[in-house]
Amino acid sequence: MATSQYKAIVIGGSAGSYAVVSKIVAALPPDFPLPVIICMHRLKHVRAGFVEALNDKSQLNVIEPYDKQPVERGNVYVAPANYHLFVEYDATLSLSIEEPHLFCRPAIDHTLSSAAKTWRDKLIGIILTGANKDGAQGLKDIADRGGYTIVQDPATADVPTMPRAALRLLQPSATLPPQGIIDFLKSIR
Amino acid sequence: MDIKDFLKEFNRRCGFDFSDYSTNSISRRLSKICEEMGLSFEQILNMVVADKQLVQTIVEDITVNTTELFRDPSVWTAYAQLLPKHLPKQTMSTIWHIGCSKGLEVYSNLIIINELGLQDRCRVFGTDINPTVLENAQKGVYPYSFNKGYVDNFNTVMHSLNLNTPFEKYFSIDEQADTMTVSPTLRQQARFLPQDLVKDRAPFAYRVDVVFLRNVMIYFNEQLQNRVLSNVLEKMHDGALFIMGKQEDIPQAMKSRLLRQGPFYKKFK
Ligand SMILES: C[S@@+](CC[C@H](N)C(=O)[O-])C[C@H]1O[C@@H](n2cnc3c(N)ncnc32)[C@H](O)[C@@H]1O
Repeated sequence: MATSQYKAIVIGGSAGSYAVVSKIVAALPPDFPLPVIICMHRLKHVRAGFVEALNDKSQLNVIEPYDKQPVERGNVYVAPANYHLFVEYDATLSLSIEEPHLFCRPAIDHTLSSAAKTWRDKLIGIILTGANKDGAQGLKDIADRGGYTIVQDPATADVPTMPRAALRLLQPSATLPPQGIIDFLKSIR
Repeated sequence: MDIKDFLKEFNRRCGFDFSDYSTNSISRRLSKICEEMGLSFEQILNMVVADKQLVQTIVEDITVNTTELFRDPSVWTAYAQLLPKHLPKQTMSTIWHIGCSKGLEVYSNLIIINELGLQDRCRVFGTDINPTVLENAQKGVYPYSFNKGYVDNFNTVMHSLNLNTPFEKYFSIDEQADTMTVSPTLRQQARFLPQDLVKDRAPFAYRVDVVFLRNVMIYFNEQLQNRVLSNVLEKMHDGALFIMGKQEDIPQAMKSRLLRQGPFYKKFK
């Protein structure tokens, strides 16, 4: 895939998506050309060590961003526990402790929709396995602005609610199993 | 009319300046307000001069006022371990919670202060732009079942300080009414006062030994952060403790004036 076309990747998944997310971050090469932003619902108790564990597996730099941190290639940004993560128009990240959305904080919709406004058709959005419909509207916002959208094939999802909710709202550019998502990402140059 | 024009005119007519709040957050919240009220920017501006209640509602809806008891427990543990060493022994100390919302951060702090036996050496202020949250703070009554996490946070902090203090020492729970109420002792120790951080000075005369400014400046742009921070710094003693939210950082321009110390900052002497 020709690449200069895209500016960033945003990924949403709920608690059960940890296995897929860790495979993805483990597979990306150190010179991966795009920044990756991940918004994952977390169980209250898996806080400490979660991001460190992802970072250990990855050749990229996996971090919980600070408020107003700029988005740069080489980094994988993971929404911090108990904060919503937004992308601002100047491609910096911002955090908020406003109300949970669909009982979720961080909410995937917030991250994906704000990223869609910033990067429009230069954005790749991915929805993984999950037990909540949060994320579907955000992925639709990406599709509506001409971004590239991928939904994890519900047949391969531990909990198919989230991918199914997305498929009800939009026709994604691709529906793929985890390995397909990884192959796609690795083909980006 | 775009958001910039609206905010400028809103300030001119109502005296609340949100023009340097982060664009993303403010535009989302404003579109929600317009949508829910079924009003355009122009219509709102036409109404605000006569309708003070509407102004209040808008201020409340623009500002995010969620808060929690002992949010990020590990920070509170570190704070409790540092505080006795940090406060001067001979004089009264002043602690200031800026943007204290419904007061839970102030009460978290007062619980620590009482557990450490420092209550006679500290005066604790909470300030906020929003009078409604301050009223709630003063009353100290919160929904219970929705906020059971407060009890978990409380127990986590007490446990890590090797204390067995029960939650009921500081809160009375009424299961029937589904409320928890802060003890009268804590309520008397807290002083809640209105202040708009963007344009007002601190509403008390003392210099400050500890400042909590958590999850407030994440809603400001960097320019406003710098302005607000230099005003707050002026109010602080040299060496005073400055505490922000877990994922917040001070703006570049202020780094020479505040030194990082673990999860906190100290005002540079
Ligand atoms: C998200 S709450 C944070 C509450 C608490 N510090 C915490 O971290 O749990 C933000 C608070 O900042 C207040 N605030 C926003 N703008 C302000 C201003 N210009 N002056 C004073 N307070 C302000 C809001 O009213 C709100 O109560």
